[in-house]
Amino acid sequence: MDNIKIDATERSPEIDFDFAANRFRVKGESYPEDVTAFYGELIEALDEHLRGLKGATVGFEFELVYFNSSTAKVLMGLFDSLDEVAGQGNDVRITWVVEEDDDNMEEMGEEFAEDLENATFELKKIES
Amino acid sequence: MLAEEMYRLRGYLQDQGIMFCYSGYMTEGVLTGIGQAIKRKLELEDADKKTSKAIFSIFVEQMQNVIRYSAEREPLSGENELRYGVLTMGQKGDHYFVSCSNLVERKDVARLNDSLTHIKGLDPDGLKALYKRTLKGDTPQGSKGAGVGFIDIARRAVHGFDFDFTEVDDEHSYFCLRAYL
Repeated sequence: MDNIKIDATERSPEIDFDFAANRFRVKGESYPEDVTAFYGELIEALDEHLRGLKGATVGFEFELVYFNSSTAKVLMGLFDSLDEVAGQGNDVRITWVVEEDDDNMEEMGEEFAEDLENATFELKKIES
Repeated sequence: MLAEEMYRLRGYLQDQGIMFCYSGYMTEGVLTGIGQAIKRKLELEDADKKTSKAIFSIFVEQMQNVIRYSAEREPLSGENELRYGVLTMGQKGDHYFVSCSNLVERKDVARLNDSLTHIKGLDPDGLKALYKRTLKGDTPQGSKGAGVGFIDIARRAVHGFDFDFTEVDDEHSYFCLRAYL
């Protein structure tokens, strides 16, 4: 699958999906006008790719400064998919990057991670 | 006369502690623009970062509620509709507030009232549980968003929120929700 790179805008995050390397990154702010229009095809492509993996190492990094509640629903679904792929014999590592003083974003990541059974979750703090 | 009238309006807004007021059709473009202005204002205010981000989040959820659900709209059906609402943001005493109001259909009042009364009665753990359940569940009927907007507002409004309705005519009521931070 071709890699997907989308630049960040004021209301949507930078997307960097490297399918060959199984490295994925979402970075920035996310409160798009239409969540489905922005994430729909991306998630579809990702799910299709992930379904075909076996014995792979997958790295997914989230570095979000702000996201709205519609985006939260997309993220929850993404965590579920990643956990499912991890349960099918893949090593899935989720990294949640937050600014060191952003308790709220840290909490959000931990809440998403609570239900993970197979994927590993790492919280990474960076300077604000 | 002209200036006097508007000066009175300005005085009223200031008395209410309102820093910012938008009354009119709300679009995603308006949201982007006002969002930038609010961010900048909060930077100048030296509001702490956590509060600023919470105010901004509540503002986005409130605006998107109006854009998606206000019963006052033009044209009445079809694409590219414009929805009307009034948004205010300000400071009273030690607290900031974000308030949003719009026309709703009377048939929706009971459902909205029940749902908001339930959310208001929950403690932080209860809110968190409901938030996650809603994120994982199916989108409620008639909802174009995730249906988690109000729960998100409640979680970020550290000093709570108030809401009520007033009857307008046979078909409509006016709804206001004010969140305190």
